[in-house]
Amino acid sequence: MRVVASVLFVLTVFLLVTGITASNQVELDPLMYDYIVRNFEEDTHAKNAVASILLNYRMYDTMFEALILLAAIIGMNQFLPRESDMRHHESREQQTEDNDE
Amino acid sequence: MSEVSREVSYGEESIILKTMVGLLYPFIMLFGFSVILNGHYTPGGGFQGGGVLASLFVARFVVYPVEDTDSERLHALQRLFLALIVLVPAALLFTGVVARYEEFRSAYLTLMDILIGVQVGLGLGVAVLRFAFFHGVGQTWHL
Repeated sequence: MRVVASVLFVLTVFLLVTGITASNQVELDPLMYDYIVRNFEEDTHAKNAVASILLNYRMYDTMFEALILLAAIIGMNQFLPRESDMRHHESREQQTEDNDE
Repeated sequence: MSEVSREVSYGEESIILKTMVGLLYPFIMLFGFSVILNGHYTPGGGFQGGGVLASLFVARFVVYPVEDTDSERLHALQRLFLALIVLVPAALLFTGVVARYEEFRSAYLTLMDILIGVQVGLGLGVAVLRFAFFHGVGQTWHL
C-alpha cells in the first residue's frame, strides 16, 4: 500500500513538474551563449570555454561546488565511528583472547 | 591499530601489485599535475586532476594498508586550500583586477586550477582513508 502510494506520488509530481514546464516555455534570446562563445578567449585568455566559464564567468558556482566536498567530509567525520568509540570493542576482544589463553 | 591491520592485510603480499604500483606512482602524480596545469588549454582542470591525485592515496592503501597518515591533518590542509579558493577570487576576480589587467588572466586561471586540484585531491584522499580505515567492524576494510 505504501509502495503504491509513493509510486503514485512520484508519478504525480513528475507529471506536474513536466506539465508546468512544458506549458510555460519561454523562448530566450541566446545572448549569453553568443557573448561567451565570441568573447571568452580575450576575456579570460583560456583556450577552452569550459575553463573560462568555471573559473571566471561562473566563479560562485565553482566555489560552492568545492564546499560540497567539505560538507561530505564533515558528515563522514560526524557519522562514521571513530577509534575512541571502538575502545570497548577492542577491550572485549582482548578479554576473550585472555580467556582463551 | 596498525598492528591489527598489518596482521589481517593480504594486499601487501602480492609482489606484482607492489612493483606495478611503485612503478606507476610517479607517473600518476605527473599525469594529475599535467591535467591540472593544462586545465585552461585542454579538457580537464582542477576537479579532474584532483581526482587523479586522489588515486595516489588509493594506490598507496592497496599496497601498504597501514594507517600511518594523519587524515585530520590532511583535512586541515584541505580546509586551508578551500579558504584560499574563496579568498583568491574575492581578491582578484570580484575586485576587477583580472578584468583590468590582461597579463594576470592566464596566471589567475592556472592558480585557481592548482588550488582546486590540490583541494579536491586532498578531500577525496581524506574520504578514501576515512572509509578504508573504518573501524566499525573492528578491523580494516580491504579493497
